[in-house]
Amino acid sequence: MARGPFKTALNSRLSTFQKIYLLLIAGFILGPFIPLVIQSFAFRWAWPDMLPGTWWLEQRENTLMPLAWDYVISPYSRVWEATLNTMFIGTVVTVICLAICLPAARVLSRETFPGKPAFEFFLSMPLIVPEAAIGIALLMIFIHIGLAGTYTGIIIVHLIPTIPYMIRMLTAVYQGLGRDFEEQAMILGANRWQVMWQVTLPMLLPGVVAGALFTFLVSTNIFLLTFFLGQGKIVTLPTLLFSKISGGTLDASAAGITLVVTVPGIILLLITERFIKEEAFGKGFGN
Amino acid sequence: MTAPKTKELARHRRERIWMWVQLVPVLVVLVVLFGGALVLAVAQSLGFAPWFGVNTFPDFSYFAALWGAWSFWQSLGLTLYYAIVSTGIALVMGIILALAMVRLFPGKTLYKYLYKLPLMIPYTVGIALAVIMLGNGGMLSRLMAFVGLIGDPSEFPQILKTHYGWGIITVYVWKQTPFVTLTLYAVLLGVGRETEEAAAILGANKWQIFFQVTLPQILPGIISSTLIIFAFNIGAFEAPFILGGGYPDTLPVIAWRYFNDADYSLQLQGMATVVSIALIAGGILYSYLALYRRYERRIGRS
Amino acid sequence: MKRILIGLTSVASLMATVAVAENAAATSFRDSFLSGSTTWEDVQARAQEEGSVNLYYWGGSDPINIWMDQVVVTDLAKLGVTLNPVRITGTKDAVDLVLAEKGAGKGPGEGSVDAIWLNGENFATLKRRDALFGAFADSMPNSANIEWSDEDPRSLLNLRDFGVETGAAEVPWSGEQYVCSINTARVDKAAAPSTFADLRSYLEMNPGKFTYVKPPHYIGNTFVQSVIYAHNPDGNGAVPFQSSIEELGAEELARLITPGMEYLSALEPLLLGAQGGNARYPEDNAALDGMFLNGEVDFACKFGLYAVATGLSLGTYPEGAEAFVFPEGNMIKNKNFLAIPANAPNPAAALIMANYMTSVEAQVSKLKFTGMPPGVDPWRLDDAQVQALVDASPGLVGITQAELDANTAPDTNATLVNVIEATWLEYIERDSSDDIATIVARAVENLK
Repeated sequence: MARGPFKTALNSRLSTFQKIYLLLIAGFILGPFIPLVIQSFAFRWAWPDMLPGTWWLEQRENTLMPLAWDYVISPYSRVWEATLNTMFIGTVVTVICLAICLPAARVLSRETFPGKPAFEFFLSMPLIVPEAAIGIALLMIFIHIGLAGTYTGIIIVHLIPTIPYMIRMLTAVYQGLGRDFEEQAMILGANRWQVMWQVTLPMLLPGVVAGALFTFLVSTNIFLLTFFLGQGKIVTLPTLLFSKISGGTLDASAAGITLVVTVPGIILLLITERFIKEEAFGKGFGN
Repeated sequence: MTAPKTKELARHRRERIWMWVQLVPVLVVLVVLFGGALVLAVAQSLGFAPWFGVNTFPDFSYFAALWGAWSFWQSLGLTLYYAIVSTGIALVMGIILALAMVRLFPGKTLYKYLYKLPLMIPYTVGIALAVIMLGNGGMLSRLMAFVGLIGDPSEFPQILKTHYGWGIITVYVWKQTPFVTLTLYAVLLGVGRETEEAAAILGANKWQIFFQVTLPQILPGIISSTLIIFAFNIGAFEAPFILGGGYPDTLPVIAWRYFNDADYSLQLQGMATVVSIALIAGGILYSYLALYRRYERRIGRS
Repeated sequence: MKRILIGLTSVASLMATVAVAENAAATSFRDSFLSGSTTWEDVQARAQEEGSVNLYYWGGSDPINIWMDQVVVTDLAKLGVTLNPVRITGTKDAVDLVLAEKGAGKGPGEGSVDAIWLNGENFATLKRRDALFGAFADSMPNSANIEWSDEDPRSLLNLRDFGVETGAAEVPWSGEQYVCSINTARVDKAAAPSTFADLRSYLEMNPGKFTYVKPPHYIGNTFVQSVIYAHNPDGNGAVPFQSSIEELGAEELARLITPGMEYLSALEPLLLGAQGGNARYPEDNAALDGMFLNGEVDFACKFGLYAVATGLSLGTYPEGAEAFVFPEGNMIKNKNFLAIPANAPNPAAALIMANYMTSVEAQVSKLKFTGMPPGVDPWRLDDAQVQALVDASPGLVGITQAELDANTAPDTNATLVNVIEATWLEYIERDSSDDIATIVARAVENLK
């Protein structure tokens, strides 16, 4: 529709209130990171100093023990180990989740079968029942089958909270897809494989990528299930950070570890924002 | 004649089998593992734990002991209070933010990155930020000392580690407002602004447009996002454990303390606690959804 | 095919005989060592054959881990033994492992744990279940560094561990004392309390400037114990608390701890946070140290002779921190030990390691790296060795060794610790209205 030089009735600029609000929110989200960064470089930063009384770099030579970032980088902090574990588990969980949810989502979007409403209800249950409720029971089951404290055990358990999200997003995408394109391609002479590779998958791709990123996000943020199933042997970034700050204080090395834990999130943010549009997320949750 | 028909039947049966095969892996994880864990938890809470040497099934005494103690109801009250208040605050803040995001402004692309940050990082990071900002020895306290309002950390109004739970609520809001915003923004984009424009042309003011046009449009998004975050808040463990006010804690922390006790009989008490959490969460969320569905039917949306 | 089967069977039976032979050899080694007919050269020779030793210890302290990796591994390699430091999150895990293997029929030479760093309840469990190697701690070359004679009252800490007789089945590794620190930049040292009554009056004038770690953490338990010693109605401090719960009985225990518990209950409204709401007890000493650093509390107590020096060097303590004498006469002192289980796979190597750990060189480097006070007794050493220890120590800040020695008290019997901790949780944390006698009786019942 052609838009002439009319002024639209709705104001599409921000009101003053909204401008202030946006600034406040930005401060609320980002502000606390500033003292966090400062703390990670401090040797001693006691109340009521606004800046550390003594900095880390000043004290480095004086102590036998590695301090602050030296400590974070050293193998004693287990940061590198935790990062590798988190990335590895997250990736494998995403791949497996995708592999098992894709066919299931296709079935859910196209077919009906007895018990389908019950199935869909069950699919949403992990979103409602908290990790605390099933954590210990899962641990007992896994001890029994010998998978407690193993990567396999943790990966399988991570599937539980991620499947509901993945299936929702994929089902939404499949529903938007419609059978027509596939049928048209087959009428035009494409065989099953060609249809899949050249018609279905490209159209699914945005939803698949969104689902994969979200699953990776959920998996790398899981604490309680990993803590129970890892039995202290397998440490991930959330469990490592929790053990550092569970006392309710934050020293320099804990601040450094917190920053390290934030990095995968930032990378994920950059990837997501670059490739996924807001609508893709909305599809999973709008209903 | 019969030959083509049996072939068709056979193919149909193969297709049905193939359909079920595709569903099996998801079914296994959800029904066997998740469902199995639930069943195990329920069984233990009712006294069925032969591997501990306890088999008094069906034994409601654990539930009776749990629900009969006043501290359980205090913990339940605290859990619900933190969940409701933080969901409410996150909802309001998220709506305002989403409405701002549909407008145009300089730096919008950067802002779209920024507001999603808390979504991507674990809760524990949020807890660390709360500790460093809101603790008695934290930045807000030092700012107040800097401007001369207080002279001792104890004079700083206690924010963390109280039963009012402001620290817990702040962390939840910090993490969940972006989630609400994301959902509602997506819904707003999908719905488009034509109806709003039409209302504006017809003379409606800001508030009328919001309450009578926008709000009903984003209501499904509100319901689904608040459902998810409320469900999370009820079962959350890390924040109340680190930032909570001590005894009586929220229900998940109570369950944790039972599980960590050397006394094995408390393990079953812990199971009763987690089953109670699941039942309460399930009950509340189910009624929430049911009420919404009834509302939807009333206004004629299917 | 037949030849392969025969070959496999013979290899398997050979390995089985070797394994049985190993087991028999390990048992005979143990017997002959305990009866005194093995020379130290024999032990060293056998240790070279065994080659490695698995030390299970709590891995939550980075200084200790770094010391183990950088110093101990190298030094033991020079002795021909490879150290495998197994870091565990709870000492109880290692104890459970030993007992589980014992229950599965693994005898001498067949287990996986060569040595454990432990004391108190964990040692008592192993001893009760007959899972220890036996008396070795007084038959090593470096055993001379430790006072074993029961005629010297100072040997109590070596002969008894939380009230349980050690029987030389564990060798002292480190000693510690419960010491409180004060921030002299905020509080005048002259105003520092020295008794619990003083603490109460101090808090009445400065409410909210103190708290202690919450039981069941062992540092919290120790504070509660020192309160109980000081408020002992019979006035004999720690003496009755050396007996076990079976010897003492629930009623007597309740009578003895009531005044102390009532003091803690009366103190609660004066603690940190209690002015606006509930008293806040930190969950561990890292949290308490953080409060001490920020000036939220004026005193912080924990096990740490050199805590102030270490804290200052790591930046976790404020600049004016100093130790002070509190509570008078009841600064609990104990030792922690290295024990060798009966089913250790490398008993001779474990003995070599234990001997090394008891040497003055190891104690000096441990002190320098980790700040852990020595487990050897200074009066058994010559002047040069004592001086080496003094030089290696991070230093006492604000308190002298004489003051520390004049105010010692032993730890509580392991069986009583759980009852007292359960009583605190019930009486103080949950504000139970039951009287203490009832609570104690119930706790004793539940813990059976």
